Amino acid sequence: MDAEIDQLEHEVEKIYQQLDLSDDPELEKLVDENLKCRYRVQQLKMSIAKERAKPLDRMISVQAALSAHLQAAIRAAYPEAAAAVKVQLTSSAKEEFGDYQCSNAMSLAKAVKLQPRQVAAAIVDKLEAGDLIEKTEIAGPGFINISLRRQPVIEELNRLLVHGVRPPPVDRKRRVIVDYSSPNIAKQMHVGHLRSTIIGDSVARLCRFLGHEVLALNHVGDWGTQFGMLIAHLKDRFPDYATKCPPIGDLQAFYKESKVRFDSDEQFKQRAYAAVVSLQRRDPDSTAAWKLICDASRKDFQRVYGRLGVENLVERGESFYQDLMTEVVDELKSGGHLVPDEGRLIMWPPGCDIPLTVVKSDGGFTYDTSDLAAIRQRLFAESADWLIYVVDIGQGVHFKGIFSAAEKAGWLNPAVARVDHVGFGVVLGEDRKKFKTRSGDTVRLTDLLNEGIERAGAKLAEKGRDKELTPQELKAAQEAVAYGCIKYADLSHNRNNDYVFSFDKMLDDRGNTAVYLLYAYTRISSIARTANLSPDQLLKLAKSPGITELQHPKEWKLAKQLLRFADVVDKLTQDLLLHSLCDFLYETACVFTEFYDACYCIEKNRDSGEVIRVNHWRILLCDATAKIMKAGLDILGIRTVDRM
Amino acid sequence: FSQSTSTSMANECLASLGLSGPKIEETMRNKDLTERLVALVRCAKDKLGSKELSKVQGNLIYHTGTKLKKQAFAGHELIVNHIINGDLATEAQVTAACDFCLKQIGSGDLDAFKAACGIGVSITPEDIERAVEEVINKHKQELLAQRYAFGMNKLLGEARSNLKWADGKQVKCEFEVQILHLLGPKTDADRAGNANASSVAKQPAARGKPAAVAAAANGNAEVFREDTRSLADQMISGDAAKFHKPGENYLTDGYVMTPRTRFLLGRHLKQTGGKVFTRFPPEPNGILHIGHAKAINFNFGYARAHNGHCYLRYDDTNPEKEEEKFFVAIRDIVEWLGYTPYKVTYASDNFDQLYEWAESLIMRGKAYVCHQSPDQLKGHNPPPSPWRDRPAEESLQLFRAMRAGMYAEGEACLRMRLTMEDSKQDPVAYRIKYARHHRTGSKWCIYPTYDYTHCLCDSIENITHSLCTKEFQNRRSSYYWLCNALDLYCPVQWEYGRLNVCNTVMSKRKILNLVQKKAVADWDDPRLFTLTALRRRGVPPEAVNLFAAKVGVTMASAYIDPSLLDACTREILNTSAPRTMVVLDPLKVTIVEGLDAVKSAALTVPDYPASPERGSHSIASFSASSGVLYLEREDFRDGGKAGAGAGFKRLTEDQPVGLKHANVAIAVRQVVRDAAGQVSELRVACLPLDSLPAKPKCFVHWVADPVQVEVRLYEQLFTMKNPEEHPDGLIAAMNPNSLSVKPGALADRYLLTAAAIQRHLQFERLGYFYLDQDSSPPGRLIFNRTVTLKEDVGK
Repeated sequence: MDAEIDQLEHEVEKIYQQLDLSDDPELEKLVDENLKCRYRVQQLKMSIAKERAKPLDRMISVQAALSAHLQAAIRAAYPEAAAAVKVQLTSSAKEEFGDYQCSNAMSLAKAVKLQPRQVAAAIVDKLEAGDLIEKTEIAGPGFINISLRRQPVIEELNRLLVHGVRPPPVDRKRRVIVDYSSPNIAKQMHVGHLRSTIIGDSVARLCRFLGHEVLALNHVGDWGTQFGMLIAHLKDRFPDYATKCPPIGDLQAFYKESKVRFDSDEQFKQRAYAAVVSLQRRDPDSTAAWKLICDASRKDFQRVYGRLGVENLVERGESFYQDLMTEVVDELKSGGHLVPDEGRLIMWPPGCDIPLTVVKSDGGFTYDTSDLAAIRQRLFAESADWLIYVVDIGQGVHFKGIFSAAEKAGWLNPAVARVDHVGFGVVLGEDRKKFKTRSGDTVRLTDLLNEGIERAGAKLAEKGRDKELTPQELKAAQEAVAYGCIKYADLSHNRNNDYVFSFDKMLDDRGNTAVYLLYAYTRISSIARTANLSPDQLLKLAKSPGITELQHPKEWKLAKQLLRFADVVDKLTQDLLLHSLCDFLYETACVFTEFYDACYCIEKNRDSGEVIRVNHWRILLCDATAKIMKAGLDILGIRTVDRM
Repeated sequence: FSQSTSTSMANECLASLGLSGPKIEETMRNKDLTERLVALVRCAKDKLGSKELSKVQGNLIYHTGTKLKKQAFAGHELIVNHIINGDLATEAQVTAACDFCLKQIGSGDLDAFKAACGIGVSITPEDIERAVEEVINKHKQELLAQRYAFGMNKLLGEARSNLKWADGKQVKCEFEVQILHLLGPKTDADRAGNANASSVAKQPAARGKPAAVAAAANGNAEVFREDTRSLADQMISGDAAKFHKPGENYLTDGYVMTPRTRFLLGRHLKQTGGKVFTRFPPEPNGILHIGHAKAINFNFGYARAHNGHCYLRYDDTNPEKEEEKFFVAIRDIVEWLGYTPYKVTYASDNFDQLYEWAESLIMRGKAYVCHQSPDQLKGHNPPPSPWRDRPAEESLQLFRAMRAGMYAEGEACLRMRLTMEDSKQDPVAYRIKYARHHRTGSKWCIYPTYDYTHCLCDSIENITHSLCTKEFQNRRSSYYWLCNALDLYCPVQWEYGRLNVCNTVMSKRKILNLVQKKAVADWDDPRLFTLTALRRRGVPPEAVNLFAAKVGVTMASAYIDPSLLDACTREILNTSAPRTMVVLDPLKVTIVEGLDAVKSAALTVPDYPASPERGSHSIASFSASSGVLYLEREDFRDGGKAGAGAGFKRLTEDQPVGLKHANVAIAVRQVVRDAAGQVSELRVACLPLDSLPAKPKCFVHWVADPVQVEVRLYEQLFTMKNPEEHPDGLIAAMNPNSLSVKPGALADRYLLTAAAIQRHLQFERLGYFYLDQDSSPPGRLIFNRTVTLKEDVGK
């Protein structure tokens, strides 16, 4: 037997030796194919690894994932009607309705002339469960109630604990320009600038959080005829301004003085005009004077920005666009976009009732011209593909015109670049009239911030916090509360509406206010401390075992609420309505309270206060809540404190 | 139906310009022109309302149609306006207006426009008279002296330039009247003199070039001496003179303007400082050939002549065909030709950027993923893709899937949505290839195509002039389209004619075939016309560049006879290859009497007999080898003068011959034969020259105490002008005598050391030779024949 095996092996060996395959084209082909297949396997493995790593960079948006499933199901069930359908999906109001509720069946039923419940059943039939969906149920007239599986939610929360709060996916990384604040040189900032600054800063923070490359621009008013008056006055008051820095700290007074002279002194007026001309010629003397004035203003602005925590705001005023305007006008002319109109040259942007005045009858330029120059420069030279203008809502028509004109001129391709005018209403006093001081002047921003600090201090003192906190902690809390409440009051209202400025309301520690959220945040963050867990220990716990169960309905409710963060941010990306983030944070604080009231995190001996048991997964849930709240407050530009 | 209406409408428009029937027909054949004219007429009718165009206006509008370039067409309204209101009244003005619209892109400056077209300038006959008089008076003395031999056209031109907006005919008429008045009618002497003057004027120009070429031959250390001037001249005054200046891309015919062009050109100029940037972009999948010498000289030469820069960019987008050795060889050859790349770049350096742009292109709705098979896409009339109109989001997802490896090769590709010149539709931008790339490793499984990559790399490198051969003419529109579709700086593509050489093959595929069939040794077999082969054969780089210069760095294609390269090679080597004596087919000669005529053991031989000051070398004389020396076998003929033939001037039994450099002659005393009767040795007498009654008719080369070397003699690989036309294929077309090896050649011993230093040598009476790379001095020397001394030898 063995001998036989030996012999056979020997024979096989011999056959192999005789087989000369070196020149066989068939073999060559197969070898080639094999190489390609191996390469492809390697490529696919790399792609899988990349796909797996994705959730580490981006949070899963449950809403978006479910919407995609539903969209596919609707398309499969009713291909002819599906194109017009937008998925209607909300998180369910009550536990018995599952976690999410889809209401498309009702409207779709009309289109396909069937019973809504029938339609709902057809959609459910085509719905792929995927990882997310535990079960579906048809309820009422035709609602589809969807219950989520726990596991993917738990996994996402554990990723959140280990990898932090990540933004939801975006279609692509964009270069964003956010244009906001934009005060006028030599004038005080007032509450109107406050809104643009607060909203713009938050929008810029949002875009950075999303992973975009952001350039925040301060389009200050640093050009125009008023500079003639200021330069002439500066030259009169401080003839040695070139060598000795003039004390023009109070620019507003300086502005008023020169304005009085301008209105009363004909000779001065002439000199002011001459100064404008020499500035436009970039005459070094006048330019130096202009710079001095701008610098003085800039210092004022910077103080305000510093207090509000506004960073990375690049000043690029109207003066920057002066030289670009001629080119823009030339280009519009040669493109045949300009029409003469009573000596002016105007442009009719498609879809707009009001033309843009591009060249005035005296040959001068207007705001329309400089905004056209700016949008072109931002699209071309800056290669921006998302432009956001945070300017009051009164400018809506103007920006509609600018955007439409830019498209007509071939500068703006909507398939490539997105443009938004983020408008906002005016600030009203508690009398619901325009916000003014008692004497009827516009409210200076500095004064307003000072009052905020004062009031916040009083509020903390009223609560006796001055006795509990160290002076440093108290100061930090005072500032966080003061600036936080001013910002939050602004951001928590739909920006399109006017809003009533009231320190009393914004400093209320109940309801949807910054004070409430800041308190809630410090409380939540302190829970782990109470359980004697350091951040390192927390992280270790999160990595292993992590959150393992979400049995209690309040735990489950909180978990779902936390994951909604990605949905909320995703929606923000579309509409830039920041108040929905405020609402979300407030809700989160409320849901957390429900959870905290119902579920023990740390069980103590009632008498001795001794810690008996620490429910680690709940502590982790607290930590996740704190992280989400922190991320939300960061987007809003609100500083948190550890103790208050 | 719609076509006939549009035809009849165009007909009507052209008729309203006052064109005759046949002229209309002729015009209609030019579709672009007709389209422009229709637009112009429509515009004019809008302004005129119920009025008709006058004949003059019609003429001028037609003129506008022919002169206004496509990329300046936005200016047509302005021009028509001014034709209608009568501001533009002459063709010269309209030409100026068209020019203004082209050069002042986007300038809305009406005053500048008016000044440029002479609007508002009115010229009276008196103005003309005065201006002509002024010019004639200025040159009066010369005119009287030279009479009609004086350059009248130049003079008329001067008068015209002073009267830019005057009617040309009127100026000419006035000019002729005044000349006649001054000089009187032409005499016979005037007519004869005129002819003389013109022939004299032409001669120096004709002499200029050979002088430069001859000067080139004197240089031996540097590749570029005087000949660069002739190349540079061609770059400034030849066909290349019509190239645009950097930043003026829009002046080129066919350039496409977008609203971003002006901005992009401005930024381009800022980034380049207005310098010329070119690139030499070979695919690293083969060896450069003589045709590339034109491309290299064109690209590097144009940049050099304009103080610009030239990149060497490897177009390495096809991972399957690339090999490391080609990268090295290409760079080596560029440097061998005397050029230094500004930077060496690789198309693959830009793969990330290119991919990002591909996604952007999809997003812009200008590219889509297609699943037609490669076979379906082949051929002249492939069916249109059914996936052409799929939504952008879908294409984007599928493109990402392509990148992830989710399709097999050929199952999906990315195509650009455009129709090219030859009505080819939707060129492929990316295809799937499961192959490693030698630079990007295993990062990618989709690779961009030439059509997609080339223009974008040009754009990235801010190339001003993208020079390519004429085969790429039909890719020009896709080149421009893609840059514009992505809002990128768009270089200008200029095409030039290929340089082809007869009696050889240059395509990579065909050479590869020869190599694989072992018909030639390798890519650098000296019989080939690859540049490495030429280098190995011993053609100096100066000769290659001189050849390129002589062929002309022009737009025209050319089929050049290889003898031109031989001539260039001789021109360079004549003064750069020192002489030596080598006997290819030795015949032993023993001096049996008069050996004492040569006393010294060594002889001094000048390297260049015509210029002895350039040095000399010393060779063994036969006195040291007991009178044994070797002659070329064919320099002796058996059978005496009668047997050798009347024309034979070298050695016979009864005719002595001189020995070069030895100052003696030899006369045969005895012919020794071997068993077969073949001459095996000559026994000779050595005779001092002055002892002879007459100087020998011929001096031959010889060697004594020699070393053995191998000499390889090459002839044309193909004797047919176009070997590809041979009915039995390339191999059959090969010249069987293209290579003959002389393993037993004998050379002066001094070559053992000299050849290692000076690889180019002239073997006296035989040709120019080059030390082959297979040699292993000092033991074994191998020489390639670069070229024979004269063209007719070997034919």
